This record gives sequence, C-alpha cells and structure tokens, in this order.
Amino acid sequence: MSLQDLWRMSYDSHTIDILRNSKYAIPVIQSFHLFGITLLLGSMVILNLRLSGIGLRQIPMALLAKQIWRLAIGGLLLAMATGFLVFLPDPARYAANYAFRTKMVALCVAVGFQFLIYRRVIRSGAAESGSPRNIIVACCSLTSWFLVGWAGRAIAFLG
Amino acid sequence: MSIVSWCHWLQSTPWATSIRQSDFMFPVIEGSHILALSLSVGLIVLLDLRLLRLVLPSERVSKIMNQVMPWALPGFGIMFVTGLLLFFAQAEKVYTNGYFRVKMLVLILVGINALIYQLKFYPAMAEWDLSESVPRGAQAIAIVSLAFWMIVIACGRLMAYEL
Repeated sequence: MSLQDLWRMSYDSHTIDILRNSKYAIPVIQSFHLFGITLLLGSMVILNLRLSGIGLRQIPMALLAKQIWRLAIGGLLLAMATGFLVFLPDPARYAANYAFRTKMVALCVAVGFQFLIYRRVIRSGAAESGSPRNIIVACCSLTSWFLVGWAGRAIAFLG
Repeated sequence: MSIVSWCHWLQSTPWATSIRQSDFMFPVIEGSHILALSLSVGLIVLLDLRLLRLVLPSERVSKIMNQVMPWALPGFGIMFVTGLLLFFAQAEKVYTNGYFRVKMLVLILVGINALIYQLKFYPAMAEWDLSESVPRGAQAIAIVSLAFWMIVIACGRLMAYEL
C-alpha cells in the first residue's frame, strides 16, 4: 500500500469520518496520547537518573531495567496507538508539517537507540554505577525522547 | 473589581502581553509545562504503582519515596511556574474556561489526597513498608491519585482546544 492509498482510504472512510467530525473524539484521544507520553517520559527520566548515577541510587538498576522498562513500553504503545488515531483523519496536514516529519524521524532514532543499544546497556552489570559511558548513554536517551516530545508540541505551532 | 476584569487587567499588562504575542516564548513555556509532566506526574505514578504493588514490590515504599520526591518536587515547581505564566498570558479566557475550573478543583483534591497520606499513613510507614499488605487506605489514596492526575492532564489538554 502506497502512502497515497492510505490518504485516499483515510479521506474516503466513513469510520474515520466519525473521528473527524466528532467534537470530542480527537481531544479525548489527545488526552490519552498525553497519558502515554507521561508514562513513557516519566519512565525514561527514572531509568536515566539511575543510569547516570545522579538519582535513585538506592534502587538496584537490575530491578528498574526490568520493571520500569515495561512501563516505558506500555507508555510508548499507548502514545503510538493514540498518535496514529490523531494522524489518521488528516494525514495530508501532518505529512506537510515539518515538525511532524522531524518528530517521526526523531521517534525512529529514539526507538532504534532504545532497543538496539539502551536495553543492552541497562541490563548489563556495568549499569549499576554512573560511569562516563552510562552518563553519555543516559544523555542520548533523554535527548532523543525529549526531541520527540518538543517536535510533537511544535506540530501545533507550525499549523 | 470582579475577577474577570482583574484577569483582563492581568493579561493586558505589558509582560503578559509580550508572552502571549511572542512566537518563541509562548511555545517554549507551553512545551515546558507539558514535558515537565514526566518529572512531576511521571514520578508520582511510580510511587502510586508501588503502593499498589504493581512495580518494585521488593523495595521499601519509604525508600522509593525518598528517592523520587527530590526530583518530583522540582518537577511540580516547573509545572506551577510555567502554568502560572500561561495563565497570566491568557487570564480572561482561561478563567472562564470550564475545563480549567475542573482542573483547578481536581488539583486541590489531589493536594488533599496527598495531605491525607502524609498525616495518616506516612508516620507509620515503617510498619508496613515491606510487607505484602499495604493498608487499604494507602492503596485507595494511590488509586485516587492516579485517577485524579489523569483527569488533570485530560482537562489541561481539553481546555487548550477552547482558548
């Protein structure tokens, strides 16, 4: 399916019309998008405070890496599912928006980093101490996620 | 002077006007307000989930509280300051917005909820800190906290559609 097909499907679909025309559908979905973001970014703050060694030092990293990771993934899935529902009624508007494009690229970078590098780092024994390597990894993680967040906020201001 | 006309005066002050009309300041303040949710509510969620024994059940509640609060409190500080600036910039419309009023009401209830925890459960925390049974009341406070914070976030998001 090409992007154009997705566009046509979206604008032709009666189901998506419901989302488009309801006064409250998108605002309510956006609220759930924010719950997801709070959970995801909150989890990333917790993990990275611990990984960099500047906070939550009394809680073992091994525990956080398992349990807070799950919260982060839960938040990410909620944010992505609701984000897709917000995107679907008006794909052309979002596709033309530079902040949205930046957000999608940043999201791919953040998710890639998260699963390819970050997960391994926080699960290794070396994650228990705030070494320079851990601090750099924590900074990369936080920067990538907050870039996604800021780009997302900028969508509204770029029209 | 009525509150509405006071709000009108407030948002007409030069610095409130400059925030409202700035292409840079307003988005930065609003973005900070939203993303600081991660530091404030995001960290309180951890504490609530621990009280419900859904995360880190092997760690003491008091320990998690001590570790999390030094970060959550500055987070709430950012929320308060940026929220106040956003209010100044659009005081009249915000004050008359129904969602804003619900948000403020629920914020007060959240504060009372936290106060009840501090008075009733915090002093005796050592008794059940690690046990399998967190007092029912403390669990209820955690559920109320999670639900109320969701209402606060939703009202904050919904009110912006009407400004």
